[in-house]
Amino acid sequence: MIDLIAALQPLVVGAVLIWSARVKLVSRHAAAAANRSALVRLVGQRRALPAYRLLGGVEVTVGALLLLPPARPAEALAATGLAVTFLAYLAYARRAAPTSSCGCLSARATPVSGRSLARAGLLVAAGALALPAADGWPTTLAERPVAGGAVLLAELAAVVALSPELDHVWLLPLRRLRARLTHPLRGGSGVPLLATVQQLQLSEAYRQVAPLLRSDVREHWDEGDWRFVGHAARYHGRPVTAVFAVPLAGSEPETVRVAVVDDATGHTLLSLAGTPPASGPRLSVVPA
Amino acid sequence: MNQTMDRRRLLATAALGGVVGATGLGSLAPEAAFAAEPATIEPGAPDPNFAEGRISRISGSMLLVTGSDTVLHSIRITDGTSIWKLHPTTFDRVVVGDGLYARGVRLPDGTLAADSVWVNIVNLHGHIAAVGRNVLHLDHQGRRIVAHVVPDRSAAVYNGTPAVSDLSLLRVGRHVQVLGAWHPDTNEIDIATVYAAA
Repeated sequence: MIDLIAALQPLVVGAVLIWSARVKLVSRHAAAAANRSALVRLVGQRRALPAYRLLGGVEVTVGALLLLPPARPAEALAATGLAVTFLAYLAYARRAAPTSSCGCLSARATPVSGRSLARAGLLVAAGALALPAADGWPTTLAERPVAGGAVLLAELAAVVALSPELDHVWLLPLRRLRARLTHPLRGGSGVPLLATVQQLQLSEAYRQVAPLLRSDVREHWDEGDWRFVGHAARYHGRPVTAVFAVPLAGSEPETVRVAVVDDATGHTLLSLAGTPPASGPRLSVVPA
Repeated sequence: MNQTMDRRRLLATAALGGVVGATGLGSLAPEAAFAAEPATIEPGAPDPNFAEGRISRISGSMLLVTGSDTVLHSIRITDGTSIWKLHPTTFDRVVVGDGLYARGVRLPDGTLAADSVWVNIVNLHGHIAAVGRNVLHLDHQGRRIVAHVVPDRSAAVYNGTPAVSDLSLLRVGRHVQVLGAWHPDTNEIDIATVYAAA
């Protein structure tokens, strides 16, 4: 079994390396991906893209050597060395530039996470396993197609599961499906305070007294069809409370009423009723 | 409690009562109100009437706050101060360790007499990575934020339409902006409002 796994590792590592090189060499977003990566920190802004491309070149060379026969231990050694370099680079990136993007398998901005490190670790292990391989992978796969296929599938699944770049392909749709089946956010009811405040701020009453207001919403309560919202205000030097009455149902800013009440005496200093909506013909503007 | 009820009854009656309208107390024109407060802030200078930071001590109605630039602020909470902590609340809900933004009037002794205080308020953008029972997991600049939906408090604004309580239109993978209250020293927040496309 170990022989089988060892013989198939060049295929796995080679495929991952070529896939990874694709982003660095042929993607239109390679420059953006290089600029987001920790290479900027490591080699400077100017040299980040050339370094990124060079890395892609090394990856595609090692990947091709691994995939193409004959299988030599030196290839596996080079791949292991490359994977160890990735692991060290990612660990550095995570410490030195935590907001940088991995730039590993996709041009998508993906922060370096524990999963990226685990994937690099997996590559190190795969490269090391390939060192003692005696046969090339095409021979082994032809001899034991079922077992070989299962091993490849399992490793592919592991690489995909450890790649945050690919979450949008399988993980997010799964989570979306779960949300559709279980409706975890259902249950909200009632009129939120913000809906009242939005209505209030569109009202004529608010426009009239806004310059007097000093505080944000201090208190609010519901009574019948109305929600009352109190702000601290100042009116001619006196501390007062501006209390708005806002209809709970619907959105009718024109019906909002306000009273300004003296905090010390409780006297109403001012109150404005909502103005009914303008009647009569309206000018309708039709875009040309 | 009774006092609050009486006061609210008085205010409600005033708001729904007869129109006093033009009073003998003077003009309501915006110019009259603004004239009392000339703008005194120099362009580029810090706004003297604003303070932010973490509360290091509470004594009486005074908050001692350490700003993120390590400047110390004394903030006085008055009878007229509005206090927001996920929703409009009272001074006794404010605790040491809370973060805050405060706006008010700087007194000659350097104290800020607060008009409004927003405790632990955060405003962040992110992508919904996962949704659980009354919880959103957000990817925010490579970090995971756990945003709790608080029943009867959290609201959603879809496509800029009026706020609603129904958050069920939020979708995994979509971008959202969240206004909320941070749980100090954690990556968790309570959602006040989530802005999303639907």
